[in-house]
Amino acid sequence: MSGTMYKTFDVAVIGAGSIGSSVAYFNAKKGAQVVLIDAGDIAQSTSSRSDGNVLVCDKQPGFDAIFAKASQDMFPELSRELDYDLEWKQKGSLFLTETEEEFEIASKFCQDMKECGISMRMMDQKEIQDDEPLLAKDIYGGLETISDGSVYPIGLAYGLALGAEKKGAILSLHNRVTNIEKQEDAFRIETENGTILARNVVDACGVWAPAIGAMVGLPIPIRPRQGQILVSEQTFQVARRKVHEFGYMLTKFQSGSYRRPVSERVEKHGVAFVFEPTASHNFLIGSSRAFAGEDISSEIEVMKAMAERAIRFFPVIADIKVIRSYSGLRPYTPDHMPIVSGTPVEGFYIAAGHEGDGIGLAPITGKVMADMIAGEAPFMDLSPLRYDRFFSKEER
Amino acid sequence: MKREVVIIGGGPAGLAAAIEAESRGCDVLLVDENRRAGGQLFKQLHKFFGSKAHSAGVRGIDIGRQLLQKTEELNVEVWLNSPCIGIFSDKRAAILHNGVTEVVEAEKLLICTGGAENPLRFPGWTLPGVMGAGAAQTMVNVGRVLPGKRILMVGSGNVGVIVAYQLMQAGADVVGIVEGMPKIGAYGVHAAKIRRAGIPFYLGYTIKEAKGTDKVEKAVIAQFQGGKIVEGTELETDVDVICVAVGLRPLSELAQMAGVRHGFVPELGGFMPLHDENMESSVPGIYVAGDTAGVEEASTAMDEGRLAAAAAAQALGHFPDEEAEKRKQEIRDRLESLRQGPFGERRMAAKERIVGKGV
Repeated sequence: MSGTMYKTFDVAVIGAGSIGSSVAYFNAKKGAQVVLIDAGDIAQSTSSRSDGNVLVCDKQPGFDAIFAKASQDMFPELSRELDYDLEWKQKGSLFLTETEEEFEIASKFCQDMKECGISMRMMDQKEIQDDEPLLAKDIYGGLETISDGSVYPIGLAYGLALGAEKKGAILSLHNRVTNIEKQEDAFRIETENGTILARNVVDACGVWAPAIGAMVGLPIPIRPRQGQILVSEQTFQVARRKVHEFGYMLTKFQSGSYRRPVSERVEKHGVAFVFEPTASHNFLIGSSRAFAGEDISSEIEVMKAMAERAIRFFPVIADIKVIRSYSGLRPYTPDHMPIVSGTPVEGFYIAAGHEGDGIGLAPITGKVMADMIAGEAPFMDLSPLRYDRFFSKEER
Repeated sequence: MKREVVIIGGGPAGLAAAIEAESRGCDVLLVDENRRAGGQLFKQLHKFFGSKAHSAGVRGIDIGRQLLQKTEELNVEVWLNSPCIGIFSDKRAAILHNGVTEVVEAEKLLICTGGAENPLRFPGWTLPGVMGAGAAQTMVNVGRVLPGKRILMVGSGNVGVIVAYQLMQAGADVVGIVEGMPKIGAYGVHAAKIRRAGIPFYLGYTIKEAKGTDKVEKAVIAQFQGGKIVEGTELETDVDVICVAVGLRPLSELAQMAGVRHGFVPELGGFMPLHDENMESSVPGIYVAGDTAGVEEASTAMDEGRLAAAAAAQALGHFPDEEAEKRKQEIRDRLESLRQGPFGERRMAAKERIVGKGV
């Protein structure tokens, strides 16, 4: 696309990751004239540096879990609907509890989640051993979440973006937005390749959402939270599905008084064991959390800590080679909930800040954003996702 | 763990650099992922060209022995069987050594991990029996195993022609050398040996297909014009090995990981780390040399290694400026004389362009 566009779009979505692509798709599906703009390519940043988890197990009981479940429930249909193979697999997930104390915390969590309608069950030592025979023998127990699944994350973003294009959306890739000006009846979006006019703008830039928000004077409290991943060689089946330690919840939400019995480097780098098998018989090992600006280089100390933690749960991993490591940036918000909301700037919306849940929450985010722009009531009260929750009454 | 100079890759560039740096008084660690240092030198049974200062007339294998002997005399610390798995911030190299990942903090880091053979994709290219010419050379000259009985060579550059000759010497029947361009790529003296041995060159031909069920049984070649295969010109012959010698590219993953600025330089193998007149990259204290810094030859690799090491020793304060400048100039002059003639001039122009642009 080049030159000045005189047409006024109904919706301009900025950011072609899994979230922006979904927002574009669901708006286009409603018949809106959509343009999807990105400084780079589809899924270039966080979406291609993630694992493909579609989980409810790691959400907080209440709104968080119900919202995530609604998104998860959309995947079977979405994978039929899109031309792209999303590699959607729904094998459930397994949380491991290392100690009796952790098992008790998990049991309480399991009860709370069940009350929100999430299908979970506690498993004792024998059950987890039967389920995953290569587990370390002393792992105390586990927690199974029946509905959890995974997708190929790059495929998800591509499927949605190309699906949007098929429904008439314009893809404007490798086209950086340089300025946005609110005019009487439309936004004037200046880009490297010319001007784009749109009645509504959705900022779906994840980690970079604040830079777009600043163009219309909106502060957005999103920070990059770095995460690293190790990739194994192609090998035998170590575990049949998504397995992670319940301690992941503790590092994610940094809450509670329980301290895991872990080494200093595991603690220091916020490392929690996450295992995800891939379709090509490799597996991914996570996870780490750090506020490191926009740095996405790998760090050997973090890699070592992740390997150490993986070997703790599956000793057999000690003999398997790591062939790659990569790192990406999660868009973090102070309360761990995304911003899916209108703003004081009428017509300017934000769909960003999903931290490590952007893949799983992409479908529902796209859908509710399309409803919101069309002026329709959402399927549930979305006030926990409002933009203004971060500001006091006076600031609003 | 800390070392003043960490050299990754013990081929000609790395060995020459280790000797230069150690003899200037640097605390050096040389690491190599192989059982033995020397890189490709021990496969090179042929004599080198150039002037006497460049070991002309000496076989690669003997140059390798001399370099190894010198590193032993100087007591250079060498870790073998020790792959570098990554370079991290602050010039830390993670090296898998005796089953443990050691993180070595380097004041100066030299990356000279060599080059890799370019693949060529054609129907059947994944059949066992299709291999890089370098792989065949390792089999025959190091492993002393003949990769096959009837061999087709694809590519008539120095590598293709020399390896074809060595395979023939080892007892294989080389059925021909296929070259997509209208003329032979190798030095005339190598090509002449092939001609005398009666091995035919198929100029303006390319490999069209490898046929076979579980392994290569036949090769189909065809005329090649304007980047396209000319239908109807196919020739088919029984072979059990197809060697591919279509050039090398710099192995620069570690330099990429270290954040070194790269550029595309076709004359030197493509995407490569850029460097200044001291072989130093855009990341201060990280140097590149040898095929990693643009694919050339063992003789240029050794001198680039020496140049980087002299510069590193100077920067570390071990090598007085005046002497160091003199030494570096002497090496640069030698490199210039190595890059003469129709083959060297293009590379010299490319190097001048790189250094002129700066990092």
